[in-house]
Amino acid sequence: MRTLLLGMGNPILTDDSVGVRLARDLARDLEGVPGLEVVPECSVGGLNLIEVLSGYDRVLIFDSVRTRGGRPGDWYRFTAGSLRETRNLRNVHDVNFATALALGRRLGHPLPPDEEIHVFAVEVEDDATFGERLSPALEEAYPEILGEVRRDALALLGAGPPS
Amino acid sequence: MAKKISIDPITRLEGHGKIAIFLDDAGGVEDCYFQIPELRGFERFVVGRPIEELPRIVTRICGVCPASHHMASAKAVDGCFGHQIAPLALKLRDLYYHAHYIHSHIAHFYALAAPDFVCGPDSDPATRNVLGVVAKVGLEIGGAVVRARAQAQKIQQIVGGRTTHLVWCLPGGVSKGIKKEELDAIRPMVDELYDFTQFSLKLFKDVVLGNPAYVDLILNGPYTLDVQQMGLVDENNAPNFYDGKVRVVDFQGNEICKYAPEEYTQNVAEHVEPWTYLKFPYLKKRGWKGFVEGIDSSIYCATPLARLNVADRMATPAAQEAYEEMFSTLGQKPCRALLAQHWARLVEMVFDAEMLRKYRDDPEITGDAFRVVPDRITGEGVGIVEAMRGTLTHHYTCDEKGVCTSANLIVGTTNNNAAIHMVTKKVAKAMIRPGAEPTQGILNMIEMAFRAFDPCFSCATHSLPGQMPLEVRIFKAGEPHREFRRGC
Repeated sequence: MRTLLLGMGNPILTDDSVGVRLARDLARDLEGVPGLEVVPECSVGGLNLIEVLSGYDRVLIFDSVRTRGGRPGDWYRFTAGSLRETRNLRNVHDVNFATALALGRRLGHPLPPDEEIHVFAVEVEDDATFGERLSPALEEAYPEILGEVRRDALALLGAGPPS
Repeated sequence: MAKKISIDPITRLEGHGKIAIFLDDAGGVEDCYFQIPELRGFERFVVGRPIEELPRIVTRICGVCPASHHMASAKAVDGCFGHQIAPLALKLRDLYYHAHYIHSHIAHFYALAAPDFVCGPDSDPATRNVLGVVAKVGLEIGGAVVRARAQAQKIQQIVGGRTTHLVWCLPGGVSKGIKKEELDAIRPMVDELYDFTQFSLKLFKDVVLGNPAYVDLILNGPYTLDVQQMGLVDENNAPNFYDGKVRVVDFQGNEICKYAPEEYTQNVAEHVEPWTYLKFPYLKKRGWKGFVEGIDSSIYCATPLARLNVADRMATPAAQEAYEEMFSTLGQKPCRALLAQHWARLVEMVFDAEMLRKYRDDPEITGDAFRVVPDRITGEGVGIVEAMRGTLTHHYTCDEKGVCTSANLIVGTTNNNAAIHMVTKKVAKAMIRPGAEPTQGILNMIEMAFRAFDPCFSCATHSLPGQMPLEVRIFKAGEPHREFRRGC
């Protein structure tokens, strides 16, 4: 089974980098997992994601998120099936993730099924200021987030705990 | 996880487009404010870093047009090193940039503009998207769109080594050239892309121009602005996306100014309004006169249509033909009908494809003299390119060791901030009638006004939901009356 571990975000935009940092940290734990490829930093979206995800059977995506009432450091795990309702045209530059997946499949691209696209999304505080560090609140929460996300990711991949 | 989480994304404080519409007592539009987010602190972030690192850092300002920032930054850095640059590097940078343009314009036309025209501006929002377009025009065309984008991206990868986070431009040139076998790989893609640009032009003519209601909407709807026009031109006043002088004409076609990048501070200034973080550039010598249309206005547009409006001609034959047909059909040049931006993008794509052909057939393009190592630091540089979304300016200074001491950027969309604000208000006034409740269809018609500019908002951030949410708030007698949200 070909699996892609993908870190999404901008490494110099404060909390927007959290997905990239998680992917980098987890890559070390997951070294040697058969069929696993790691792209720790990805900042493309829309139609480009069709090409990024094509050919994989399973994808783990690490990204930041802003939700109503969310607290920095909360994190959520869901699959691409949860994105279905956001398929309307809303992006000013490109299609959104759900639309890209639907279009890619309609055009015959070998994309993983929705239930094998696992998104780990971390609630962030500041993703509009250029900076190489996380905001203090997120930095404080990060070790715990990493531990929890690592546990889930390892279980998902059927890998043992890190030595 | 046992707990069910409902993902209901909202957005950061300034992280999404907000339109606030104020109604008068009769229910008509009294005022309208368009607020867009801005990423903060970049100009401070780069101070103290080696100036030659900036082209590699700026690609992270924007996930949509990273190559535009890379190129403008590289040009500004070249200026800091005394403009010593290998001639072959100029060709290679231009070649890369034309492929980048095609890649970007395809997405805008098929994913953003086409749903309004192929599906209809007031069609069901659930199907007014690229999937709806594919359902109407067929899977074959959908496949061709994805393939053409992939080819344009592949060309960028072959020429510049990477696509999104380019690390290619160096002071004095580029880090790699093109080998003969790489050129052979590009060769067939260029021809396919040319055919695709011609196909796209025909599709626009069939679908949009073939529908009198759309032509009427473009030419006679509220989507027009009598403001001035800006774009980069070569020595023959033909559009040039990578290099040249900035030409500004009024909306009747009279030249107002034409300036070299280094003269931008004498020609453009930025106005600040208390209700938005984003500044409003204007023609400095005319002074800030407010959000007004007219031949004396200091507001300008810097868009694909503006680039063609300021030009006297195109530099390549097929683009020239398309350019002449466009203005002849529109019946005006400069054309103030903002929805004609979509057509202008397609004319530009033809130009891009012809330029790719030109470079592909250039016997010097596989040469190895793609960089000179600068031997002096002059301390200041201004780089201007045409980003897909408008004229992009990077201005840097550095000390005698080449460490950045200041940076100033005017990005494409910022140029158009005043015009977007004005046309949004104009369309809202035309669409929202006293006594009638605005609908989602009307919201989309208002959105079409600023979507024509392909505005670049908080595009360096990739936080889910990965899209630009929009909020429209309508106030009556100063109190919130209704609210529409998309992706909020």
